[in-house]
Amino acid sequence: MLQIDRYSRTPIYEQVISQIEEMIARGLFSPGDLLPSVRSLSQELNVNPNTLQKAYAELERKGLCISAPGSGRFIAKDARRILVESKKGRLEELTQLVRELKDAGVGYEEIIKCVKNAFED
Amino acid sequence: MLKAENLVKKFDGKTVLNGVRLNAKGGGVYGLVGSNGAGKSTLLRLLSGVYKGDAGSVTLDGAPVYDNPAAKKRLVFVPDELFFLPQASLRRMAALYGACYKGFDRARFDELCRIFGLDAKKRIHTFSKGLKRQAAMALALSCRTEYAFFDETFDGLDPVMRNLARKIIYADVCERGLRAVITSHSLRELEDTCDTLALLHQGNIVLDQSVEDLKSSYFKVQAAFDFDYDERLFENIGFRQFKKTGSVSNFILSGGREEAEKIIRAKSPVLFEMIPLTLEEIFMVEMASLGYSHEESLI
Repeated sequence: MLQIDRYSRTPIYEQVISQIEEMIARGLFSPGDLLPSVRSLSQELNVNPNTLQKAYAELERKGLCISAPGSGRFIAKDARRILVESKKGRLEELTQLVRELKDAGVGYEEIIKCVKNAFED
Repeated sequence: MLKAENLVKKFDGKTVLNGVRLNAKGGGVYGLVGSNGAGKSTLLRLLSGVYKGDAGSVTLDGAPVYDNPAAKKRLVFVPDELFFLPQASLRRMAALYGACYKGFDRARFDELCRIFGLDAKKRIHTFSKGLKRQAAMALALSCRTEYAFFDETFDGLDPVMRNLARKIIYADVCERGLRAVITSHSLRELEDTCDTLALLHQGNIVLDQSVEDLKSSYFKVQAAFDFDYDERLFENIGFRQFKKTGSVSNFILSGGREEAEKIIRAKSPVLFEMIPLTLEEIFMVEMASLGYSHEESLI
């Protein structure tokens, strides 16, 4: 289900969080869906269960999932909305990037074309 | 909770451990790394009650571990130099472990032998070094103790077996809250396996943090600006190993990533990169700060 790159410089728990977020954003996880248990995911990925526990705790903190003691963790009802809100924060990065591209001499048309293609992907 | 407080251990007048403080509780895998001769094996032997400290204490839920069978039955130790009864078969060793540990699980032992591909009827002295390590692991994990100490046990296993051993330990962490403490020479191995890492140097623990925290705190920063500057530009950021070549600066950041990023971006860099460090690089940085490095040596 998840692809972990052990040799990546990105910590495993960040990889787990961002992959689950991506799956929620793409609708591969719907509200009410059960997340795999720490135990089964630990065995499947051969990753330390505490690391996974940490990732799950962070997802809970962000409001993306809810844990029901004894039953596991479920994707929260408004997980998608929460993600969209938090992703909006990256628009600032995009602004910065566009400025950088402009300063380097990349044209307006070229940048817009790029944005269009990414959208239509 | 297993606790070491102000632990001191000397051999022939030489101080190997000089006031070590450590806490291990809950399920998980605690990694101990250090330069050769730093005292890792000594520390494990103190924690498992093989040695007695010269000062300080090792306690399990408040009671001393040394010479205390009630505490010792909750711990199992796999030394770097394995010992088996001469001429004994693996099955014979299992019987011995079963006699010492009331919680020894024979069914689990049979299962682990099967998983590791070990023939319990065979005599252990006929096993290769790697198989001996696997046998030692199978015996130790079958005791079902709360704490298990592995002194460089993983280092002698091939990659397939290492992965397998890791999985089995994780299963025990989930199922019964096993706290494993392992030492290894391979930081790569520890990085993959542990959730907490401690760095032992010259008799003291100088770093003791969760692996994920370490990996998200240390960064290599590269920044360049199109105006004249020196390291004072970064004085509000805690940096180490500052180097400047032409207009490009490189330094190591440990902690305060978001703050640092904000400060640097505000100065409009023409180049700015922040790359997380590997554990090996973190180790080198910390050791360099302690004066243990080979930066100046040119071979």
